[in-house]
Amino acid sequence: MINQTQIKDIDWILIALLVVNTLIGIAVIYSSSHYLPGNYYLRQVFWTLLSLAVLLVLLTVDYNIFVTYSLYLYIACIFILGGILIFGKLIAGTKSWIKLEFIQIQPSEITKIAIILLLARIFSEFKRKYLSNEAGISSSAFVLLAVVLVALQPDLGTALSYIPILLGAFILAGLTRKTLVILLIFTLVIGIVSWGFFLKDYQKDRITTLLTPEKDPLGTGYHILQSKIAIGSGGLFGKGYVRGTQSQLQFLPARHTDFIFAVIGEELGFVGVVVIGLFYFLFLARLFWSVPQSRDRTGVYIIFMVAMMITSQFFINVFMTIGLFPIAGIPLPLLSYGGSSLLTNYIAVSLVLNIKMRRFVNI
Amino acid sequence: MMNSKIYEDLSLVFSRARVVFIVVKILFVILILYFWKLQILDFQMFWQKSEANRIREIVVPPQRGLIRDRNGVVLAKNIASFKASLIRENCKDYEESCLRISELLDLEPEILKERVDKYRSLPLFQPIVVKDNLTYEEVARIKSRQYELPELIVQSEPKRNYPFGTLASHVLGYLQEISPAEMEMDQYKNRRLGDLIGKTGLEKQYEDSLVGTEGKVLEIVDRIGREIGEVSNVEPIRGNEIYLTLDFDLQKKAEEILEGKEGAVVVMKPKTGEILAMASYPNFDPNKFINRFTPEEWVDLINSPKHPLENRTIRGLYAPGSLFKPIMLLAGLDLRAVNDSTSFVCRGSIIIYRHPFACWKRGGHGAVNLYSAIQHSCNIYFYQLGKRIGIEEIARYARVLGLGSPTHIDLPGEKAGLVPDPEWKRRVRDEPWYPGETISVSIGQGPLLVTPLQIAVHTAQIANRGLSVIPYLYASEIHEGHEIARQQEKTGIRSPIPEVYFEKVVQGMWQSVNDRGTGALARVKGFDVCGKTGSAQVVSTATAEKLAQQKREIKTHSWFTGFAPKDKPEIVVSLIVEHGGGGGATAAPSARELIELYRAKYD
Repeated sequence: MINQTQIKDIDWILIALLVVNTLIGIAVIYSSSHYLPGNYYLRQVFWTLLSLAVLLVLLTVDYNIFVTYSLYLYIACIFILGGILIFGKLIAGTKSWIKLEFIQIQPSEITKIAIILLLARIFSEFKRKYLSNEAGISSSAFVLLAVVLVALQPDLGTALSYIPILLGAFILAGLTRKTLVILLIFTLVIGIVSWGFFLKDYQKDRITTLLTPEKDPLGTGYHILQSKIAIGSGGLFGKGYVRGTQSQLQFLPARHTDFIFAVIGEELGFVGVVVIGLFYFLFLARLFWSVPQSRDRTGVYIIFMVAMMITSQFFINVFMTIGLFPIAGIPLPLLSYGGSSLLTNYIAVSLVLNIKMRRFVNI
Repeated sequence: MMNSKIYEDLSLVFSRARVVFIVVKILFVILILYFWKLQILDFQMFWQKSEANRIREIVVPPQRGLIRDRNGVVLAKNIASFKASLIRENCKDYEESCLRISELLDLEPEILKERVDKYRSLPLFQPIVVKDNLTYEEVARIKSRQYELPELIVQSEPKRNYPFGTLASHVLGYLQEISPAEMEMDQYKNRRLGDLIGKTGLEKQYEDSLVGTEGKVLEIVDRIGREIGEVSNVEPIRGNEIYLTLDFDLQKKAEEILEGKEGAVVVMKPKTGEILAMASYPNFDPNKFINRFTPEEWVDLINSPKHPLENRTIRGLYAPGSLFKPIMLLAGLDLRAVNDSTSFVCRGSIIIYRHPFACWKRGGHGAVNLYSAIQHSCNIYFYQLGKRIGIEEIARYARVLGLGSPTHIDLPGEKAGLVPDPEWKRRVRDEPWYPGETISVSIGQGPLLVTPLQIAVHTAQIANRGLSVIPYLYASEIHEGHEIARQQEKTGIRSPIPEVYFEKVVQGMWQSVNDRGTGALARVKGFDVCGKTGSAQVVSTATAEKLAQQKREIKTHSWFTGFAPKDKPEIVVSLIVEHGGGGGATAAPSARELIELYRAKYD
């Protein structure tokens, strides 16, 4: 299963960066929720320990075994997503949660892992210079099914966060100009059709409000405006840890989850943003740098898709807090409060470690 | 062998991944640059916005200053009251909120929305008063729904209260909400929308003294408006207390006299101009409509044909009637048109300018000299005097003696009255002056108009034998127990008419009351009341003739003005009862009651 050489080859720096970012997250979660009932930061500590344990345990299994069974994992996820749509209880307005004894789990988060593994399996056989129609269509179909199921919960943010994973696979496979045009047209059609038929008014508002957040400062624009005020009023050095008025006085929405970066901006200032941004960048860079350190095509795809998944969520989330992206309800990986998201990201990083530590190994 | 299998050529794939990573690096740079803009370049703007978010200014209204009479009786005070306000920021659904609030407070939803709309320019976290003068039941109802309706809050505020209701209501005035037009006036530049300000009377005149200084609490609030701390707390400063010259008992008596009638009473001190009583009837109870809305009571009063909101003492315009005769006599004496030995024969009527003019006494007064002319108010004497001196001189003396211009009492809205002359008639009516009009003016009819206060001030001048006074109501002002201001002693202006002529008029007025004259019913034994009665035509001559043709009785306004005692005058009483009939019968006895009350209290 696992041997001494492999343990020696574990990328401890990546684990350190992962944990450091998580700890930063816990500190900010404390600041933004200590006055709320629920001890969010303690729960996040618990989730971190659990995720770390899962990460280490999963290292013992060769990632190719996961890839082999990826289709079953994917099917299981689809069943769960379908099942909670039918049987699930509404929590916070969506049916995205499975409630166990004492913890809640969002299957839509774990589904990301299934998608990464399944796409890796599809594309590992793919050795042509550019993306073929069969690979493109089959992979799109798998991902879009999951997107639709999650979007129906309704959790559009998580649903759309699957797309960058698929896009990552496409990019590696190689996009011809023709494919790019087709993808663009396809996106446009989907966009227009959803705008016309599927998007709810509040979702449309979130998009239109990007253009004019001042227009309705108490409505949809409120969150963006308050978030920008929080960040802008932080200045160079910030208002101090646990001393952000926007955050502590609850002007800021979803402080410990989706808008956690606004708390960083307000309390720690530009300096804090740059320092924490730097840690995050090093973490993401470490993922991108890991791409060539795989022994096979499967590993390359997995590492790259993991990097794409976390990077895209990071940018969507941060751009959202400064009003450059619609409020999508996407958490900031590692920093935001949320067990499922944390666990998913740890599993994803675990796959990267798994691939790197086995790069010199015979099959 | 192994290597070739494991390390397949992935360089193309790697290079694609590298390109993506370059894009990521660029995005990071963009991100940092954007944060630089937000946090460094736009810092000031966002800082201010976050401060405004955090700190809510609560204005604590000050207690309005008390108003007391000359002996300390409180005429205007403050009582605790509650108002309900809407904080729009806390509304989850504005329409729904309006509906629930209107239901809870028993308001029309449209009126509520109109009200809120009026203040839409205020910041969203500023409470907008939607109902005031809440009952305890309403307060309880709101409090019990605090969690369902966090947008509706109850605030306490001091409310103006007049413990004696209608007493001196015209003098005191009343409060109403500041209007948008007033908001733009310099005087009210520190006031806020929703503030109540003095709209009439002393409440308006001394607004700046009475209003006090508002307190301010800067409190830290959370997003849903809950107070979680205080930054600063500046206590409000109570408005200054004002002592008036009014005497509670005389004021009360004056209003009792007028009760059920329409009219006005002025009681003042001739030497100083202090107003002891100033009553106008019908009156009103300002307590009933001191709130931010336009209650039915107030609209009713505005539209009432009897004009209860008008202060008749300074805004009621009446023909002086026979009260004008002392002025005529002073003019005649000063112009040497008449003297002690001049006498006219009164046969009940006289033809002047080919037109008959009647005396009020059908049988006539016989031979009349200047004393008996005042004593018995003989018209014939004054017709002939008027003919001798002419309208220009009559108008000049009337003006010298204070008619046709405001008395400058410290009340807003005083009217000037009217002293007609040929120039006025040309200007206003574009007609020449007819000599017959001079004859009418000689007995105080025609276009001549005076206010009851002008009559009182004029009477004070006679009592002072020529020294004029400026009437006033404000005696002194107290700030936190210390007197800070006092009415300045105003030395009257001596009239150019010699004192001896005034003495003759006084003699005539003394005879009028004490020697079976027209003012006999005003007599107070041992107090030497001097007075003059009057009956003013209510309508123009033309209308009067028309009414007379219809055989309808026209009751004249009943005047009396006088002072006492004759040699050291202490009190002036002037009063008019609209449609009271003859001045001697209706007004004179009322004046006596007031003089007697004054004597009992102060002499």
